[in-house]
Amino acid sequence: MQRKWITTILAIALVLALGWGFVERLNRMNLANSLEATGRRDFYNLLSQVEQAEVSMAKSLAAGSTRQQVAYLTETWNQAANAQTALTQLPLPNLNLTATRKFLSQTSDYCYSLAQKLARGENLSPQELDTLSRLHTEMGRFARTLHETEARLDKPGMHWAGSFSRRLSRPPRTVAGTVPAAAPASPLDGFVNIDRRMQALPSLTYDGPFSDHLERKEPRGLAGPAITRDTAGKRAQDFLRKATGQEYRLQAVQEVNGRIPGYSVTLQGPARQGETVRVEVSKKGGQVVSFLTDRLPGATRLDASQAVDKATAFLKDQGFADMVPTYSIRQGGNQVITFVNRENGVLIYPDQVKVKVALDDGKISGFDAMPYFMSHYRRQLPAPKLTAEEVRQKINARLQPESLRLALIPLNGDKEVLTYEVKAKINNDRFFLYYNALTGEEEKVLKVINLPGGQLTM
Amino acid sequence: MRNHKKRFYLTLLLTTLLLAGSLTAFRQAGAEKAIPAQAWDATTGVSYSDEVNLLARLVAAEAGNEPYAGQVAVAAVILNRLRSPQFPKTISGVIYEPGAFESVSNGLIWHVTDLSTARQAVYDALNGWDPTFGALFFWNPYKLVNPWIWTRNIIVQIGRHVFAR
Repeated sequence: MQRKWITTILAIALVLALGWGFVERLNRMNLANSLEATGRRDFYNLLSQVEQAEVSMAKSLAAGSTRQQVAYLTETWNQAANAQTALTQLPLPNLNLTATRKFLSQTSDYCYSLAQKLARGENLSPQELDTLSRLHTEMGRFARTLHETEARLDKPGMHWAGSFSRRLSRPPRTVAGTVPAAAPASPLDGFVNIDRRMQALPSLTYDGPFSDHLERKEPRGLAGPAITRDTAGKRAQDFLRKATGQEYRLQAVQEVNGRIPGYSVTLQGPARQGETVRVEVSKKGGQVVSFLTDRLPGATRLDASQAVDKATAFLKDQGFADMVPTYSIRQGGNQVITFVNRENGVLIYPDQVKVKVALDDGKISGFDAMPYFMSHYRRQLPAPKLTAEEVRQKINARLQPESLRLALIPLNGDKEVLTYEVKAKINNDRFFLYYNALTGEEEKVLKVINLPGGQLTM
Repeated sequence: MRNHKKRFYLTLLLTTLLLAGSLTAFRQAGAEKAIPAQAWDATTGVSYSDEVNLLARLVAAEAGNEPYAGQVAVAAVILNRLRSPQFPKTISGVIYEPGAFESVSNGLIWHVTDLSTARQAVYDALNGWDPTFGALFFWNPYKLVNPWIWTRNIIVQIGRHVFAR
């Protein structure tokens, strides 16, 4: 009798387990299939965008008129960027395709910079056309490789979703450049080979944010002998004494091997608050590049203008001669104020320093002068060739200009240009417009975004 | 008599289900709310609350137990990736790139609840603070990672993360 009961119970348990397993399997297959669809969609998006980019580039090389060239270059800009997006979202976490992604970004960016150049009324130089033609050849090669890969992928047994599963067949774990000679042929070898080829492409220098010369940028604003580890600690303590009026205990000094080589100093605040502060000091010249505290401010007691006064006084004390507050925003009990350097009455936007003031006790709670030390040097500013009145004539008639001042602004590709900065509005929208002070060309338009507690430009 | 027993079990089952349901609902209500979309100017409809929310989740999930500078550093890495040709061009693209972040692969990013410090760290990173001076990668050196990552140029270690370019 008892045995019969046990048998019944076990039989029911088995049926339940089987049913549960079956439902789980259905669930898993549904998820795997939708992931598979995503992978295949991104692959075919990549393929078609690369093909279209190749065709647009060929057209831009063949076109004889500026109008057509601009149109095809702009198309390439979009298509190559879309191809890069598709490539970065492909489920291939074990494949390193860095060089291919970079190639697509740079091609897109390069075509945009050429289109901009044509739109300014300039012509493309023979070198630029050569580079465009070289990139076009590579794009064509990439398209061919993708077609071969497509033919190999369209077979049973290959699953994009496999990269995420322990049971489905996995694409081989390969690292570009270090594929073992005896590795079995994989349908994805085409990707690995094209990436190896892309790694060997010559570097590309042009006026765009992804130009190779920007990778090697070095700080221009630092001078003086290299400091030691101990000096870095002392510099950090002196700095904090001025910023907060408190004594901080040295905890650790670390070497930082970044864009500005330096020391990172960790300090502890007066014991009972448990505050930890990090100060970055440059090796060259021993300048404090940035500082941050982990203290969250309490109830707000200061307003924005009081915070700006505190920050201005602090910068003066730190030896920054003439810094002008520009944007200011309140975030989480702190006021963050952006200061820019002023030389002979001209605002130097690249030389930027940010100061954070805690709105509860008015102490400096953050400082960031990295942009300043990266870009600051003794500039020979040209005299403007246009008068303010001539600039006013150029402003879009729908805008109401409010004020105008001289400013040096950064442009793509690490360039700087002297401009007239015009503050203007249309209905409720406010803008900053920048007119080249030598040629009168409209260089840039920034829109002011109002946020609770401050403003932002885009 | 038998009927009574049946009813008792049925009630017990229903109560358990109800309890479980309300517990789940409570857990969801307790979760940290995202910054409301009304935090913007009516005339534009543009704000950066979306970016702050996306980044704060990733920072809390990847570096929730790290020192403050380590949290700013993680947010800064995402922003540095936007400026690098090797990575996607949007914050969501960088965060949800397949296999890019452990917390997305294991789902932790959707379950973190305490975003207060992470949000402050994200504000600092968006304002330009970068304790990593341009790092593009970070990893925990005490865990097993793709060996390729160790070929990168190491900049600094903050807490339990190594930052590299």
